[in-house]
Amino acid sequence: MKTFNIKYTLLSILLVAGLTSCNNDDDITDLPQELDFTGTFVQEDQMGRPGINTVLSGTSEIKDDFNVTIPSEQVATFQPLFLDRAVALHAAFGAEYETNILGLDAATLTTILAADVLQVAPDAPTTYFDGTNVLTGRTLTDDIIDISLVLVFGGENGDRFNGQDTNGDGTPDLPILVTDGVNNSGETPLNSFPYLEPPHSL
Amino acid sequence: MNLIKKTKLWVIASLLFIGVVLMAADHLDAPAVMGTTADITDFYAFEGANTDNTVFVANVQSSLAPAGNSATFDENVLVEINIDNNGDLIEDLVIQAISRDDFMYFFGPFAPSSTGLNSTIDENATYMGKVEISTGASAATATENGISYFAGLREDPFFFDFTQFNAVIGGMAPNGFNNPGNDDFDGTNVLSIVVEVPNSLLGGTFSHPAGTGVEVFNTWVEAKRRQ
Repeated sequence: MKTFNIKYTLLSILLVAGLTSCNNDDDITDLPQELDFTGTFVQEDQMGRPGINTVLSGTSEIKDDFNVTIPSEQVATFQPLFLDRAVALHAAFGAEYETNILGLDAATLTTILAADVLQVAPDAPTTYFDGTNVLTGRTLTDDIIDISLVLVFGGENGDRFNGQDTNGDGTPDLPILVTDGVNNSGETPLNSFPYLEPPHSL
Repeated sequence: MNLIKKTKLWVIASLLFIGVVLMAADHLDAPAVMGTTADITDFYAFEGANTDNTVFVANVQSSLAPAGNSATFDENVLVEINIDNNGDLIEDLVIQAISRDDFMYFFGPFAPSSTGLNSTIDENATYMGKVEISTGASAATATENGISYFAGLREDPFFFDFTQFNAVIGGMAPNGFNNPGNDDFDGTNVLSIVVEVPNSLLGGTFSHPAGTGVEVFNTWVEAKRRQ
């Protein structure tokens, strides 16, 4: 396992010689020389956007297959399955999918979502959705669950299933499907690197 | 977080419900990786405090209760952040992270010699770095060539009523979600890898596939195990 790696050592020397910006005590040249980074690493899990596999893959087999399919091949295989799933999730509540707040029908939405990559804008506000910017990144406090639920169940106004009392008898007649009722109020990320909060301890 | 006191209850609950484990965002998303050291739980990408930078966060190993503070990165699992600069859904650049002893080592961004399900580490990558793995409240960080590095235990920033979600999709919740719901991830930790990279090192962009006109790159994260 621990093999002396001459390439790495040489590179470390080159780094010292060539990169004058190395001014940190944790410089890579501190590497123990017996580190071994060789070998082939084979994919077991993947993720682009949050919740895609969890929500839209209907069976354990589909979930496992999705994790070992590269993004460029995901749409062909999984869009039809995701579409079936979106239809089934609605049917469970006696409803049919309705074109969503972005004007996407079920086929188009599932086509976009089946390519499980996250778009990131280097020169624009980064957010999953903030009311203005759409799918330009994902911050630590974006309510990606509610956004996803709105896109799938929200219909053209985004609030199609939100516990409405349709007959005025004081009790909800429609289920709540566009929010899980949990917001980001408990999350207070740092303003600077590494951004994530310290761990909980017992 | 104001519900730390619920922690011990959470530990008990998580033991009781170990068969109904959480899987959300990408936590425990599929049987083959569920609960393994290669289980990606979440992926974030956002503008850094320095707006010329983009921050990537890859979290692994789901729902570590505080009692799981001893959880460690697997030295056989490579976490690879992929970047697609032309919209063909094939990685043009990768950033690799893998642990050795008490440190996380980083390679890239660099253009991989091959793409797809199998990867090798490029020890000749132009950009490399390492950082001591943080296990407590203090965060050890390092910076090389303008790239900042962190690896270690952090509070899981994900929030979701996953229990009710399972009831909804399982046909057991005719009224849907609750208001308010319950954050099943409150009080849990996760192993985080954070890299902040100057945008100048991240390659080109293309017009957003949803037709918004915004210039973007695609990114996703993979966990790959040494064979």
